[in-house]
Amino acid sequence: MAVIELNGLTKTYGGARGVTDLSFTVEEGEIFGFIGPNGAGKSTTIRTMLGLIYPTSGSARIFGKDCIEHGPEIKKEIGYLPSEVFYYDNMRVKDLLNYSASFYKKDCAGRIKALAERMELDLTKKIDDLSLGNKKKVGIVQGLLHSPKLIILDEPTSGLDPLMQQRFFELLEEENKRGATILFSSHILSEVQRLCNRVAIIKEGRLMALEKMSELKENTYKRFKLQPAGQVAPGAFAIPGVTEWKQEDGEVSFLYKGNINEITRRIAELDLRNMWVEEPDLEEIFMHYYVKGA
Amino acid sequence: MNIFWYELKAYRGTTLLWTASLAGIVLLMMAMFPSFAKDADAFREVLQSMPEAVMKAVGLQLDSITSLIGFYSYIFTYVTLCGSIQAMHLGTSILSKEGREKTADFLLAKPVTRGAVFAAKSLAALTLLLLTNAVFFGAAGLIATAVKIASFDFGIFALITLSLLLIQLVFLAIGFAAALLLPRMKTVLPVTLGTVFAFFIISFIGASTGDGKLRYLTPFQYFDRSYIAAHGGYEPEFLIASAVIAAVCLTYGIVRYAKRDVQAT
Repeated sequence: MAVIELNGLTKTYGGARGVTDLSFTVEEGEIFGFIGPNGAGKSTTIRTMLGLIYPTSGSARIFGKDCIEHGPEIKKEIGYLPSEVFYYDNMRVKDLLNYSASFYKKDCAGRIKALAERMELDLTKKIDDLSLGNKKKVGIVQGLLHSPKLIILDEPTSGLDPLMQQRFFELLEEENKRGATILFSSHILSEVQRLCNRVAIIKEGRLMALEKMSELKENTYKRFKLQPAGQVAPGAFAIPGVTEWKQEDGEVSFLYKGNINEITRRIAELDLRNMWVEEPDLEEIFMHYYVKGA
Repeated sequence: MNIFWYELKAYRGTTLLWTASLAGIVLLMMAMFPSFAKDADAFREVLQSMPEAVMKAVGLQLDSITSLIGFYSYIFTYVTLCGSIQAMHLGTSILSKEGREKTADFLLAKPVTRGAVFAAKSLAALTLLLLTNAVFFGAAGLIATAVKIASFDFGIFALITLSLLLIQLVFLAIGFAAALLLPRMKTVLPVTLGTVFAFFIISFIGASTGDGKLRYLTPFQYFDRSYIAAHGGYEPEFLIASAVIAAVCLTYGIVRYAKRDVQAT
């Protein structure tokens, strides 16, 4: 069953672009990555799904129901963590979480306690006094306390330290095992890589690609940089999949796409001083989709 | 109901402060009434030397100022000014809060309709104003009874006092509309003070020139206290005018609140 269905979703602000003709579906039980640079339209899409803004044309359906018409009903089962967390300042964490829980007709007291313990969040503190990372934790607990069936996270990891990020991911994996579908927006691909089954890549308000994570990994490039002790013979890496070959200042760099064993075998024949293998950054992946789309 | 209680709690402090101020004004000024009434003749002479336009503008009525109702009517000008600021500030603030504190993504992602949010917020505001008026009514009634020299018509006193609530309701509705006119209202106080004082100045000018049509432009002139004293009731056309303004502003508020895009943070 499709949990999220976007059909030609378009949102323009006056003359400005928001998102254009966006269509994809997220299946039940998926962890779905929603990737794009800042200003690509990720938040616009998410906020339309939540009925915070109204689509110019097209529609978004959640649990098979139109998200404008049946907004309040579907929101019972949605947990949402906004990208920037601002909460009513002169409140204690506990009060805010209780206020949040009061919107759902269940007893969330146990969940709040358990989640706060997990995230090491002090419930008695004033929200005013919290650091960015701790505010983010409030947002996380707030989004998960009613055990929603759909969890929507808008750039959830900014401000969290690596340990907390780790714990947060574990938490999400548990929620997913419990049956929750997760939509995870980010501008950092590597962050999403670990968790997601599928990703949608969006740029300038348009869907660039929709791929399984496993395929995306196979299809993406790796950037190699070598510092050989001697000279590298010009033909040493003349195999298919090597592009952007560059050799200067005793360094060799190139992009490679293909069987990784093939290239390591070639590299192993060299006498190296140093070597770097990097995941291409998001921009490079976008370039790849640009080229493909053109 | 949870939004209602939350908003009540959130505005508890400010409402308490406003209520105390309004009660303070009436207690303090009415306390001056006995000594004022004692020197009534001397005071009347001083007033007689003042230009008539000034007297009208500040709402002084020579023949009634020395009676308790007359004196109360006079100080009530300032009570309504304060009350209007309170009401409009409350209306603008309570509806624009999500935009200002960027908490819309919290509240509107909850399973509630926008209509329900609007209803809860306006009900909370109404409750707060009713509480303010209840306390004010009590304070005014007590002090009036305490300082009276001769007996006075309590019905007229009550009608005048109640006009505070009516003017406040008009300004509350204006505040609702003002909150939604701009995509994001960031500065509640300047907008409130600007609007209220603009109406107050129109009222001032209208009163001093005696221009009948100007009266329709400012809620401050809708409940003429000398009319209330003379007729024992409100002027129907201005009651209707208040209702129309409040209804228009409220409808605009409801429609805009339900339909507008919530600005991204």
